[in-house]
Amino acid sequence: MTNSDINRLKDKAFHIFGIFCTFIGLVVLAIFLFDIVVEGVGRINWDFLTSLPSRRASRAGILTAWVGTLWILVLTTLIAFPLGVSAGVYLEEYAKKSRINNFLEINIANLAGVPSIIYGLLGLEIFVRQMRLGGSLLAGALTLSLLILPIIIVTTREAIKAVPRSIRDGSYALGASKWQTVWNQVLPASFGGILTGIILALSRAVGEAAPLIVIGALAYVPFTPSSPLDEFTVLPIQIFNWTSRPQEEFLTNAAAAIIILLIITFMLNGIAVYLRNRQQKKIKW
Amino acid sequence: MGKKTKLEAIDLDAYYGDFHALKSINIAMEEKAVTAFIGPSGCGKSTFLRTFNRMNDYIEGFRTEGQILIDNKDIYQKDVRVDELRKNVGMVFQKPNPFPKSIYENVVYGLKIQGVKKKSVLEEAAETSLRRAALWDEVKDKLHKSALALSGGQQQRLCIARALAISPSVLLMDEPASALDPISTAKVEELIYELKNDYTIVIVTHNMQQAGRVSDYTAFFYMGELVEFNKTKTMFTSPKDERTQNYITGRFG
Repeated sequence: MTNSDINRLKDKAFHIFGIFCTFIGLVVLAIFLFDIVVEGVGRINWDFLTSLPSRRASRAGILTAWVGTLWILVLTTLIAFPLGVSAGVYLEEYAKKSRINNFLEINIANLAGVPSIIYGLLGLEIFVRQMRLGGSLLAGALTLSLLILPIIIVTTREAIKAVPRSIRDGSYALGASKWQTVWNQVLPASFGGILTGIILALSRAVGEAAPLIVIGALAYVPFTPSSPLDEFTVLPIQIFNWTSRPQEEFLTNAAAAIIILLIITFMLNGIAVYLRNRQQKKIKW
Repeated sequence: MGKKTKLEAIDLDAYYGDFHALKSINIAMEEKAVTAFIGPSGCGKSTFLRTFNRMNDYIEGFRTEGQILIDNKDIYQKDVRVDELRKNVGMVFQKPNPFPKSIYENVVYGLKIQGVKKKSVLEEAAETSLRRAALWDEVKDKLHKSALALSGGQQQRLCIARALAISPSVLLMDEPASALDPISTAKVEELIYELKNDYTIVIVTHNMQQAGRVSDYTAFFYMGELVEFNKTKTMFTSPKDERTQNYITGRFG
């Protein structure tokens, strides 16, 4: 064998190894998904979606869980979106290089890596106890907002950074103030990217159970919440609860609820991908 | 000269942190004339241009000493509002930088941020400015299409129209044709020739022929100093300084 033959063989070997590595995660996920769908899809019907939880598996539904999840989604968006985007804009456009700002930046990156259960404990102390919100939707949404805030700040900054300097210069040169430039030029041009980041952050928040269990969200809620101060449950908690029961029927219920939860997150991710593609098509610098 | 002085620098020094970018510049530029700034890269000509609308303010560590006067008023005084200053001093950049919006929105942006809302006023200003920038006939049927779909030359004339729309009296141009093809360049140069009837124009250029064609006066900068400033014709035929001669004959730079 010549040298170039060996090189070509190595190349081919790595090619195959690469494919193997790429597929291993996907295959495991696919098997899991297949398993869940086989187990749970037969259980999904209108009654399952519109029934309250029950001690009898065949009568139990996920109405309170998915309504709770939607509430959490909306409230978390309302809280985290303005806070995260404003903080991102401040750090990227306004903040001058200083020790304090350096310190802030490093710590925001660190916060993104803090385990979610720690945020749960923080939420328990601040929102549930100090602010006396109890195990309410508002307390849950505030806790999840803290959890995804660093992600939103970081993605907002990335999106803003991608807007070329020349656009800002053009705006300033026409007499625009910093705020006018941010509002009229920078934010519209980076909005697709910001939105993508927020949606991805939300799809993470939707799947969280641990921090919400810590702040006291219940598994059994016999009513759908009607205000942000009501107690609540969410899909991940309902799933967690069902999978820890001994009866076989509850596992089927859990599988069905997992399918619904996956559909919600896939939809969110799909919207994110769509927005990103549209943004890329619309603006070419 | 006899004519009125529009722009003036008196003992102007400028620094980027420790770097001394402009060294005691003294110059007086005539109203409604074209002054070209020439010199090798990094000589300070763009920095100097940008002191007239204070575009350097955003650069951290930048500071000036001395005075910059527009209509005999020092624009680095504390009571000068930068947004007011820039309404009077328009700027066109090296690379066309239209906003990712429609042609119309680009032109009226300056007026809109001043709070002008009346549609008739905006539309009239858009047409007038596009006509002045010799772009109207090419874009009048697609005013609400994206400005990014225009050619590079058209984009640059749109940027000129955008600057004219807020009725400045001074126009600063930072190598406005360096990213354009020869035909577009010729159009921009013609435009500059037209515009000097109403505006005081300062243009930074790397192109000697261009300086010769469009400007009435030329200033040669080298290593942060203003080496020579004179009527363009005089400067190109009989430069006083050896460095000027070497530069315009292409021996360095």
